[in-house]
Amino acid sequence: MQSADYMALLPLLVLSGALGAVMLLIAIGRHHGLTALLTLAGLAAAVAALPVAAARAPIRVTALLTIDGYGLFFMALVLLATAAVALLGYAYFRSWSGHREEFYLLLLCAALGACVLVVSSHFTAFFVGLEILSIALYALIAYPRHRAESLEAGIKYLVLAAGSAGFLLFGMALIYAERGTLDFTALAAAGGVPATLQSQVMLLTGLSLLLVGVGFKLALVPFHMWTADVYQGAPAPVTAFVATVSKTAVVALLLRLLAPMGAQSGAAFSQILAVLAAASMVGGNLLALRQQSVKRLLAYSSIAHLGYVLVAVLAAGPAAVPAVMFYMAAYTLAQLGSFGVIAVRSSRLTEADALESFSGLFFRQPWLATVFTAMLLSLAGIPLTAGFVGKFYVISAGAQNHLWWLIITLVLTSGVGLFYYLRVVVTMFSTSVPVDLTPRPVVFSGALVLTISTVLLIWLGTAPEPLVRLLQNMAP
Amino acid sequence: MNTLFYLAAAVAILATLLVITRAHAVHALLYLIVSLLAAALAFFLLGAPFAAALEVIVYAGAIMVLFVFVVMMLNLGTHSVRGERQWLRPAAWVGPGLLAAVLLAELVYVLGGWSAPATTPAAIGPREVGLALFGPYVLAVELASVMLLAGLVGAYHLARPQKEAEGEA
Repeated sequence: MQSADYMALLPLLVLSGALGAVMLLIAIGRHHGLTALLTLAGLAAAVAALPVAAARAPIRVTALLTIDGYGLFFMALVLLATAAVALLGYAYFRSWSGHREEFYLLLLCAALGACVLVVSSHFTAFFVGLEILSIALYALIAYPRHRAESLEAGIKYLVLAAGSAGFLLFGMALIYAERGTLDFTALAAAGGVPATLQSQVMLLTGLSLLLVGVGFKLALVPFHMWTADVYQGAPAPVTAFVATVSKTAVVALLLRLLAPMGAQSGAAFSQILAVLAAASMVGGNLLALRQQSVKRLLAYSSIAHLGYVLVAVLAAGPAAVPAVMFYMAAYTLAQLGSFGVIAVRSSRLTEADALESFSGLFFRQPWLATVFTAMLLSLAGIPLTAGFVGKFYVISAGAQNHLWWLIITLVLTSGVGLFYYLRVVVTMFSTSVPVDLTPRPVVFSGALVLTISTVLLIWLGTAPEPLVRLLQNMAP
Repeated sequence: MNTLFYLAAAVAILATLLVITRAHAVHALLYLIVSLLAAALAFFLLGAPFAAALEVIVYAGAIMVLFVFVVMMLNLGTHSVRGERQWLRPAAWVGPGLLAAVLLAELVYVLGGWSAPATTPAAIGPREVGLALFGPYVLAVELASVMLLAGLVGAYHLARPQKEAEGEA
């Protein structure tokens, strides 16, 4: 590797350095606030290193990574979302005793894995990045180990993620056996749909197995069974991380991989993806309808949102890549804000995710209720929020590629989605007797995250042009 | 050569099935070792002796022996001797022993020269693997260390002895 390579890798190197620094700090002396501060400083330094890397982009660093504008945008999204999760985690764990510092260490590990995923252009980097992310997440999900439901969620995620990694590896092996390379660009160069039926079967089987692994991570129907339980069992900041960073990174990778590979496999593969997208939109929205836990409701809604994103992924036109990038940014903001509201309201013993605990919230904590309303409206895709603009771009990308029946499904299921988002909003504004009368004071770091995400949400919803122009320049 | 490969693969599948159906952890681990040995033999028959050796040393050797010892040591006590005698009744070791004997017979058959050597373009030795790992794949090696760190920190946090009233202020 040469010096230009190191400069291009600077964000990853800074992040690894921060990982070491946080670990040393914990070894020297445990201090919750200081650990959180050092974590944030490390993430900020990594974000500051992004322009340095961007000046050298696009560049291929060894066979494994491709640092380009597309990857760097997603890296920025991952780093900022991780910083928000760290702030929420500080608010969440502040009143705990016991070991809280490892949370930040695991969070940085997971962020590094996600950053590797978004710039990987080789199956090896893909798998290693995904495993770093998964292994850190097992421990993060089960972090409050005095809570039975967290441990249960951690075990559930561990078993299913390990199983899906097996599918992923077998898919990679079949593709390698057929194409003789693990490199994404070399796979693209290897040519179109294979001539013989046998190689076609090998390639399609490999891609389908790959899709099982990716579908598990994205919680697409029918690989979604873990989502609700893990979302509910994990501590709220970790749920925010699973919902945002882990999914964003895998979507970024899927798009980078499919752009060359999907076309080679012919129409069959696109049809599989389209069925998954439709099933996720329908299944996610219908399952969310009758949930009494806000965390489970958001879990099912995130399944539906990944279905919407797949419509843009399938579109594969010139508008598709910026549409996916914008949608993931808007989705990340809204999910961070939603789980942030739950995180700042949770106490040491219970997660504040029961729907009835939100009744009359507006009259007790009007600001919190307003923030949550904005987030839910954005998830529902109401105008003036980022979610609306994102959905608009997804639909227009789909329309350019004539994916009419998927767009019709998207519009119809969004209408269903509106019902359960508004149900939560109506609960917050209802004047029925509130369950707990003493509102918890919101910790400053949590309030900071909520304020910034609300401002960004509305700013992106009203003036999306600067970001859209930036994305169009960055898309490959 | 194909027959030998499929025989080893069948042993691997059979042993793995027995791993997940055994009720006793030590018995399951014995089958798991056989399953890993069978996978190693499959590697060897495909012309990858180095991968086969690694499989034996790392998985069947170090990790599994550690597993067996830890599981056995977990229930120490006065009745541990009786317990161990119970674990090693013939019914427990005959199955894994037979499967391992099949693998041994295959290995002797191949090494004895009764079978044609594996048709492989070039045997990949430790030198080539090392050059690849610390050449084009050096970043993967570095990232694997982060992966191990995440596993270590997570295991430390989850397995630490429980204190009173943890998570409470």
